Amino acid sequence: MNALSVYNVNKYFEEPVHFQVLKNISFNIHKGEFVSIIGKSGSGKSTLLYLLSTMDTDYEGSISINGEQVTGLKQNQLATFRNEHIGFVFQFHFLLPEFSVLDNVMIPALKLNQRTKDEIEDMALELLGLLDMKGEEKKKASKISGGQQQRVAIARALINSPAIIMGDEPTGNLDSKNSKIVFDIFRQLAREKGQTIIAVTHDEEFAVNCDRIIELSDGRLVDSI
Amino acid sequence: MNTNQKIARVLLTSRIRQLLVAVLSVTFGISMYVFMNSFMAGVNNEQTEITFTSMAHIKIYNELPEEVTPIRTGASDAQTVRMVSNEQNIRYTEGIKNADVIVQDISTIESITGITRQLNQNVFIRNGVTRTSANLSGIETLEEDRLFQTSDYLTEGDLYDLNSRSNAIILGTGLARSLGAGMGDMVSISTSDGVTRIFQVVGLIETGASGADKTRAIVSIEAARQLFSVNRSYATEVLVNINNYENAREVASEITRFTDYKVEPWQEGNGQLDSANALRDIIAIAVSLTILIVAGFGIYNIMNMTVNEKIKDIAILKAMGFNGKDVVEIFLTQSVVIGLIGGITGLFLGNIIVRIVDRVPFEIATLATLPVDYNPRDYILAFLAGTLITLLAGYLPAKNASKVDPVEILRG
Repeated sequence: MNALSVYNVNKYFEEPVHFQVLKNISFNIHKGEFVSIIGKSGSGKSTLLYLLSTMDTDYEGSISINGEQVTGLKQNQLATFRNEHIGFVFQFHFLLPEFSVLDNVMIPALKLNQRTKDEIEDMALELLGLLDMKGEEKKKASKISGGQQQRVAIARALINSPAIIMGDEPTGNLDSKNSKIVFDIFRQLAREKGQTIIAVTHDEEFAVNCDRIIELSDGRLVDSI
Repeated sequence: MNTNQKIARVLLTSRIRQLLVAVLSVTFGISMYVFMNSFMAGVNNEQTEITFTSMAHIKIYNELPEEVTPIRTGASDAQTVRMVSNEQNIRYTEGIKNADVIVQDISTIESITGITRQLNQNVFIRNGVTRTSANLSGIETLEEDRLFQTSDYLTEGDLYDLNSRSNAIILGTGLARSLGAGMGDMVSISTSDGVTRIFQVVGLIETGASGADKTRAIVSIEAARQLFSVNRSYATEVLVNINNYENAREVASEITRFTDYKVEPWQEGNGQLDSANALRDIIAIAVSLTILIVAGFGIYNIMNMTVNEKIKDIAILKAMGFNGKDVVEIFLTQSVVIGLIGGITGLFLGNIIVRIVDRVPFEIATLATLPVDYNPRDYILAFLAGTLITLLAGYLPAKNASKVDPVEILRG
């Protein structure tokens, strides 16, 4: 089964001038695949990722995730869908600074509300342990280092065991040591838990070690290697 | 506490100073509302109290009917001319001859709390060579005191001395001054019929209504009846107090069923009091609502700032699957908390201000301090109005927050 299918997607920007960012994009990603989206600045790769993330709904064509067509769903339905099926890791970690590390990880699961608070807390602690963040749980998110923040963001992306994890330059802000840690975590998740990973990246090393690279150039798909 | 409320709490408590400013603006608004309304109500009550020290809620008296049948009727034919010289309406009866019957009849009405008879006439009072006109009231001391707390306004002497001595008289302080009479002095009263009698001053009264104090003289109703040579049940007016003066009109129309005499609720002929009370209430509400609305703008401003400051957090929450309704809830909860804390502290602060004002000396007329009222209704209304305005002021920024486009923010 395809974790993700993109069919004939076109996307336009109207500001500052009318401009076609994505041109007839179509591809499929299998379950458990670890995929990089690469391309030069302005090639439209981030734009594509935000379409896949369901946050940007202004496009032509259709996108299905886990066999469910998300194109045409209402904002509130999409929010619920994201909560359950998609995990995000952003370039600039984007944790909620006033909350503790543990709270940051727990919030998506508390929102999903399928488990009790204690279960969620146990899961969050386990994930943080897995990501080598033991002992930092009670600290405020703004008080830990960048590499640690990114690991917390990954734990947060994983808490609801989403089918797809999306990363917008997940290692873009990290040194090579931390980049390697993040990559290894993704690798492991794809392999062991069958979670699909889609990451936009500039990082050559990161990209070549993936299962597949999707390259964009001027809004067109170049090659699927 | 659900997730949204928990997030609201963390966001709120992370910026204590802003929270404090927002809460204080509500506190101030609500305390001013409480203060303004308590003060105005106090003034109104005081006004009413002064008014009703000399005026009953309902007055029954003998009045010429408004429609007087003319003596002259049209000529029966064109050849006849009817002439009436010196046409006059003649009053056949004066006063109420048998007031006892009316008192007995209307005392069955439940809302009536007190009835007293008065015999009022204009007389001349003379003290030596000084002579002045005065309003002589013959009163039933016990009932009068119950209705008007007359004895509270006596600056000297005892109201009940009127009962024990038939030649006792109490003078208004202004009247006593213009007569140059003091306690124990003898004054002579002349009626319009030319009867003169000597009375001894046994008390002085000051109600605060200086017009009345300058003309008022009080004797017992028995003494007055004797003076004017009228029967034992005679009174010029029967005064009635009821449990709630605002219902005077209704009770008056009920009394009309028992008697043909004129029954007049206090509002008739005292429209200025009625309207002054209403106007003061309107001013109080207008001013306090204005203050509350200004406080509302303060909250609107602060919440808007918060939304702008937290726009990244909102985008993250939305990316993680929080929908517009959640975001509204998160930010509206903050406003509600501000409203509730500000509301409660506002009620306390308002109460403290009112208590302080209650002690501010204000020695004019019969007042010793500024008049205030402690009415739970004012507090409830202040709280409701305050929380409602916070809710409104918080809703707009919350609605804006829910419209944040996460893509725009997260892409930077």
